Formats: sequence, structure tokens, C-alpha cells
Amino acid sequence: MTADKSIVCACEDVTVHDLEDAVARGYGDIESLKRYTGLGTGPCQGKSCEVAAMRICTSGNKLAPGAQVPFRARPPFAPTAMAEFAGLQAPPPSSEPQPGLRPTWGKGPHPLQPATPLPEKVDVAIIGGGIMGLALAWHLAGEGAGKVLVLERGYLCEGASGRNGGGVRAQWTTPTLIELAKESIAFMGRFAQELGINVWLRKGGYLFLAHDEETLRRIEGSVDLQRKHGLPTRIVTAGEAGEIAPELDTSKFLAASWNPEDGVVFPWPFLWGYAEGARRRGAQVETFTRVTGIETGQGRVRALQTDRGRVAADRIVVACGAWSPQVAKLAGVQLPNVPYRHEIVSSEPLKPFLGPLVTMLGTGLYFSQSMRGEIVGGMGDPQELPGLNQSSSLRFLARYSRALTELVPRLGSVKLLRQWAGCYDVTPDHSPVLGETPGVAGLLQMSGFVGHGFMMAPAVARRMAEWMGGTKDEIFERFALRRFAEGRLEKETFIIG
Amino acid sequence: MDRDGPQTIRISLDGQAIDAQRGDTVAAALLRAGITTFTRSIKYHRPRGPFCLQGSCGQCLMRIDGAPSLLACRVLAEEGMICQRQNAPLGAEKDIFRAADFLFPEGLDHHHLMTGSRLLGRVALEVARRLAGLGELPDKPRAPVEAELRKARLVIVGAGPAGLAAARAAGDALRAAEGGVLLLEREPRPGGGALLAIDPALPDRDQIAQMALALQGEVMLDSECVGLYANDTALPGNALVAVRQRGRLLLLIAERVLVAVGGASQPLPFAGVDRPGVHAARGLVALPAMVGERLVVVGEGKELVDCARALRRKGYLLERVIALGKSWPAAADLPIEENQPRRALGNPVRALQVGDSRIHCDAVAIAMNPAPLHELASSVGAHARWVAEVGGFPIQVDGEGRTSVPWLFAAGRCAGLGGSAALNSGEAAGRAAGRG
Repeated sequence: MTADKSIVCACEDVTVHDLEDAVARGYGDIESLKRYTGLGTGPCQGKSCEVAAMRICTSGNKLAPGAQVPFRARPPFAPTAMAEFAGLQAPPPSSEPQPGLRPTWGKGPHPLQPATPLPEKVDVAIIGGGIMGLALAWHLAGEGAGKVLVLERGYLCEGASGRNGGGVRAQWTTPTLIELAKESIAFMGRFAQELGINVWLRKGGYLFLAHDEETLRRIEGSVDLQRKHGLPTRIVTAGEAGEIAPELDTSKFLAASWNPEDGVVFPWPFLWGYAEGARRRGAQVETFTRVTGIETGQGRVRALQTDRGRVAADRIVVACGAWSPQVAKLAGVQLPNVPYRHEIVSSEPLKPFLGPLVTMLGTGLYFSQSMRGEIVGGMGDPQELPGLNQSSSLRFLARYSRALTELVPRLGSVKLLRQWAGCYDVTPDHSPVLGETPGVAGLLQMSGFVGHGFMMAPAVARRMAEWMGGTKDEIFERFALRRFAEGRLEKETFIIG
Repeated sequence: MDRDGPQTIRISLDGQAIDAQRGDTVAAALLRAGITTFTRSIKYHRPRGPFCLQGSCGQCLMRIDGAPSLLACRVLAEEGMICQRQNAPLGAEKDIFRAADFLFPEGLDHHHLMTGSRLLGRVALEVARRLAGLGELPDKPRAPVEAELRKARLVIVGAGPAGLAAARAAGDALRAAEGGVLLLEREPRPGGGALLAIDPALPDRDQIAQMALALQGEVMLDSECVGLYANDTALPGNALVAVRQRGRLLLLIAERVLVAVGGASQPLPFAGVDRPGVHAARGLVALPAMVGERLVVVGEGKELVDCARALRRKGYLLERVIALGKSWPAAADLPIEENQPRRALGNPVRALQVGDSRIHCDAVAIAMNPAPLHELASSVGAHARWVAEVGGFPIQVDGEGRTSVPWLFAAGRCAGLGGSAALNSGEAAGRAAGRG
């Protein structure tokens, strides 16, 4: 016996009903439809469902012709074993900056840009509909901060908030980041009750592997600090780490730092949850809308210019991740942040075998098993050039596959399904840029999280909203933009990926 | 085919011996033995069998010789091969988790499941975690397989009619040039969709063989392009082409690339379309085995008529031919009618409900236009757009097969120029790509 379902995506068991529900909820562009329903994310990567989905979108929903494009195709073209990529000696990278990917819909504004006008005036305009901006909007709207508007140039999840590996941890090396992460992870545990959507926080722990004596001393130091802040972090031997993650080749590292309370989330629902929550509280979230200018006068912000017209605003928040320097420049402000591409790849879905997120501090390799069973991981590349490049590379697949199969040899014939890239927003001291901007009153910074903003956002946004409401908070002094001019840096050393 | 060994070999499925013909894929061998449920689906544990039978749909994933989730329709059966069905703890025929299918008849909204209670949310998490995934870890480690690196002036991906025509035209242009043309074909022989002899507008097998013999450049068979990238290395060239050849990679650094990878068979979203016994018509034509005697064929336009005739030539009895639209080429020889399929019934499917009537059959064949495989080209930024008449997202090309990426050309069905347009489109694109 089999129930009477009309399946569109057989890999992920997505039905016609699921698609219609997603469209009705406003996730009707093909990228959002894919993310909201899981359509096209399985072994066939959309080759047998994208067409049926577009038939449904174009018949019922009257999708604008310009938006009738496929979702961004991700390499590889066919599932391919890691052992095969691992045997590839990728040639050295070019010293020329890479251009990155072009929009799938062609040139000009997004075809799904709403035709309705933006408000003439708001109290707070937030540029960037990533997790930072949306969480801030939700908190501000809940605290009566007046009229709040979030502007996102793409679909929700288009930027780094939709491209990260979902790791959340409190194992940091500065007290501030430890506290922010602790509060954020606690909030993630009750996100579903607060915001009505599951984020699937799975506390499988984080294992930081130390491959040499120097790294071991580093993690010993950080464990002391983390224990002072109430974390259950401890140093475990290679043998113990091998019991926590049974497939690891324990000859490849000396020891590890282990916090069983860290975990992995499913990133996308955070954005949908915060956006819908903010809207319920009266904030306005506008997607497919690009900010083209920031008007200032008499030492403060006045208004935003967008490709949908001008919006006067008392306060403007720059929460654009790696794009923040570009946006701040519209107000004549120079941020020290530099964008760097980081790549991730997802494997075929496997039955659960790996509890923790595992990371090798020496190489920047990290990987975990998602709730859907995929091994999702990445690895930093010391030869990566700065730039807003979100294209995928074969070099990454080769380096990652080699590093991962050396550490977990049984993954050799596991196949990779889909790779993508996002941009880290890197500051000189690996700490964020928060709060006021010297010389431009009302222009507030909320960037520079170096690839870990996602896991900090719930706490950072709460504190930012309260600080904007008049509560004193030292992090907006300590992480203020002017520290770079004053030479007062905050050093965080546990950056991975 | 190896004529020296015995023609019948033996494989096993979940410990049970199955006789197979030498040259069969695992999928063909199992279907020949009457086995239709190949796996259980990931979420609802619905029974699934092979749909496309041509390596694109992912409905036939099986554990084979200790490696998880291999496409049973792409793996050749070998003596002693051990095949195991996945995602069904108590056996694929009586999987207890199929209860999920009934518990959530409208579908499972995982976003809003148990959000009201933290405790129930945790329970849902633990249950979902345990049920997730398809395959178990591989039995054995697999060491890196050293890859080879080569340069090429022009790489043509796909040796179907368009790719062959492109290679011929480009070969004339590039004859004197170093490197020349490299033509990649996933299958062990050139010809692509033309080998199915479905579309009378395409060259026949003899003509394909002649085209292949007359080529100037090099043809690499059993060579599947698994990735196309803009060249981001320090070596000169515009593109990186990752090619999989019998379990190892070949990396090509190319000046220009021409994709002619054709299309992928498409299902239709009616109830029960995912059940075992619903197959792509082209897949059934290609399959060396039969899946019963009586078929219902559902589809659209010329593809429907061509496929129905090819299936009949293969020996199937056509119970009914259901056309979704009003127009199809005249076909007095076919029992064709305009209608809509409502649901497929049985496991494996033994009837198709059309309107209020049930048509009994041994299997259902779906004959929609294969959708252009735009992914290789669009992943490097070539524009592809929905074209309803094509039934997919063809890569956008000009009259000479140029895409929106300067070094990339496309021809044939992947550019929306299949069937009778394939040869001309391949020739024009090949000539332009050969000139540069």
C-alpha cells in the first residue's frame, strides 16, 4: 500500500502540495522554492524535477517571464567519488582575481522585484536581509523602535547566511565571543517556539583536532578560558576522539578539544523565521531590492536611494556581510573588511554515523553530517585571493577530498553531489565591526564576523536592538569601527574554514 | 560484448541469487528477474524503481559491492556482484517505515512539525536524525586515484548527433592546429539518442558509425564530463573540464568547450508517478529487457508518437496512448487520445486511471520531451531560460551556437535544438567553435 501522493522531486519526496504551499507562503522564485521544499537537492540535483516545478510555477503562479530560469546549477554534474577528486593535483591558482558568477536572470533588476513603492520615511533602515539584519529587525520591531525596513538585494538566503555549513559552537578564544555564542545557541534551542519554524539544532558537539604540539598548547589554553565561562569543554586524547567520531584515523592528530554542547543547525529556516517574525511585528522586509546610494548631510544619514526609489531614514544599519565595505562606501565610509571566498560541498545522504562537527585546526578542514545525512564540509585555502567571488572551483573539491579521505578513509567512495561558495567578511583582527560610524551619525555597522556571524547573530541582534534603544553595552565600544584608527585590536584565533 | 565468457552470469540481491545476461546493467538484470522495487524513498519510504534508466533520475540507487547509492542503471552486472537495497531495515518489500507515507498523507511539513513544544521538537529531531540518509558507509576505504592532466583546443561534450556533427565541422577548421578536437562520450559507443532509433529525423546507426569513423579528432568513450569550470589556474586556457573515465578523473584544460549533452527524460507530477512500474519511454526503448507485455504510454506531441511506435517495434502491446495536449503528428496506427493521467495504481503499477476509467497494464511509459541538460553550461554562467514548448530550460545560443560565455558553445537538445535541428545546430556550432 502506498499513499496517494503526487511526487515532483522523487529524490527528496517533495509533492505538488509542498510546492503549492511554498508558493502561497511567498517562496515562489525558483531559488527559494528549492530551499524551502528541498526540491532538486538530492542525488539527481534537479534533473528530474526542475521542469515539473517550473510547469507548476508558470501555470498557477504566473511567474514573471524573466524569473523563469533554472535554479543555479551546482557542480559536479554527476555524483562523483571523493577518491577520484582526491587524486587530482590541481594546478596552482591564477594570480588574477576571478570574476565570480553572473546572475541567472541576466542583467538589470531582478524580475521579481515588487512593483509597490517603498515607504517614504522609516525610523530604521537595515541594509542586508541576512540573519544579522533580519534578527535585528525582529528585535527592533518587538521593542517599539518605530518603522523598521529591511532591504535585501536577492532572495532570502542568497548571501552567506544561506551558504554556511550550519556549525554553531561556543568554543572561542575571547570572553566576548564565548558569551555571544552561548546566548545564541541557547536561543537556537527555543527558536521553533519563539519563531514558529524548526531549525533542527542537533547538539552533536565540536571536535577541534590538534595535529601538532603548538596547536595542542593553543587548544589547552582556550579550554581553560572556556571552562571559566562555564563550558564543558575538555581536552580528549586521539583515542577518545576516535570513540566520539569512530571513523577518524586517529594517527593523523595528537589530541582534540571537545565540547559536547556545540552543534549543527539547518541555516535557511533562521532567515525565514526571523523575516516572518519581523513582519508579524510590523517590520517591512523587501527582497530583490538594491540600495544604490546613502544620502548624508550635516554629519548624519538622511536617506537611502534604491532601485525602487528613495527612503528617508533616521538610522541606517549596514548588515551586508562581505558586501558591507561596498555599501558603506556609498556613505563615503571606508571599512577595513575584506571579502574572501570560502567553498563548501555536500555529499550524498548517508545513514547517521558522525555525531560531531570535526575540524582540523592546521588545515582548516571541517565537516559534519547534516540532519539529512549529507557530509557537509569545507576547507580554507591559503592561496585564495580577496574578492566577492561566489563561483565554485575544482581545486577546492580536490583539496577537500584529499584532506577528508586522509582523515576518514572510509569516505573514499562516497560521492559528492553539490558544491557552492560564499564570502567571509574578514577584518584585520578577526573581530566584528559594531555600532557607530565616526563622522556619520546614524550610520550603524553590523559586520565583520569572519565566517561565524551566523552563529553569533541571535545574541548580537538582541544586544544591538537594546543598545539602539538606549541601553549601554560595552561591545559597541569595544568593537567600534574607530578601534582600527586607534590601533586597538581584538584578536580571535579560532577561525576555521 | 564479450563473446568468450558465458552469456548468463549470477549476481545477488539482498542475498538472493539472480541470473543476469552478460552486458546487462544491474537495473536491467533485476527488471528481467521481475524485481521492481529497487529502494525505499528517503522521507516517506515509498517503494521506488528505476524511472529514467539512463542515469539521470536517481530512483534506482542501490548498494553495490559495498559502495552506497550507485545508479543501478549505470553499473554493468558482473559475476558475483553483491547488490543490496537501501533505506529499508526489514527488507524493501515490507519496509515498516512506510507508515510515514500514511501518517502524512498530505506530505510532511518539516518546517512546522512540532514547533509548539521544545520537548516534542527534540523527539522529532531524534527520530528524523535516525531515519535520515540513504546508504550506509562504504565497506572499505578507497585511496585517491591519480588523475591525469591534458590540454585541448576544443572539447566537445557528448557524441550524439549534434556532438558528432560539431566534431566533424570543427575538425575541418582545426585540422592543422595542435591539440585539435577532443570528443567526449559517456557511453561506450557514440550516437547518443540516435542509437535509440526513436526519431526518424536523426541519423540511423550506420550513418552514426560512418560519422564517427570520418572524424579527424580524438574520441574518448566511457568518458563522462562531471564538471565544467572557468579556468582559475595559472595555466593558460579558458576552461577546466573534469572527465570521469572508469573510476578516475582526467582534467582537461581547454581553449573552448562545446556542450552537446542532450536531455533527460522527465516524469509527470500525477499521483503515483513515482511508483515502481512507471518508466521513461526512452529508458524502456534502451533497456535490453522487457517490463511485461502491455503498456500505457503517456506524453506529448511528436515525442509521444515516436516513442509509442518505438515501444511497439520492441514488442510491447500498447493498451492506450494518452496525449496531454491537443496536437500530435497524425498517427492512425496508434490508439491515441487526448486525456490527463490521474493516478497510477498498484505496486508495481498495474493500472493507470485516466479520467474516470482505469486502463490495466504491466507498466506505464512516459514520453515527454527530454529536458535540455543545461547544467554544465549554466553552472559557468551561460544563460538558460524556460521554454514551455521545449519542455525545459535550453541553453541560450545564437545561430552559431555561442552562449553568453565567450569560450562556451552549445548544440543539440541541450540548446533546445534536438531532433531534426540537431545536425545543423551541431555543424554550425562546431564550425564556429573550431574557428574560435
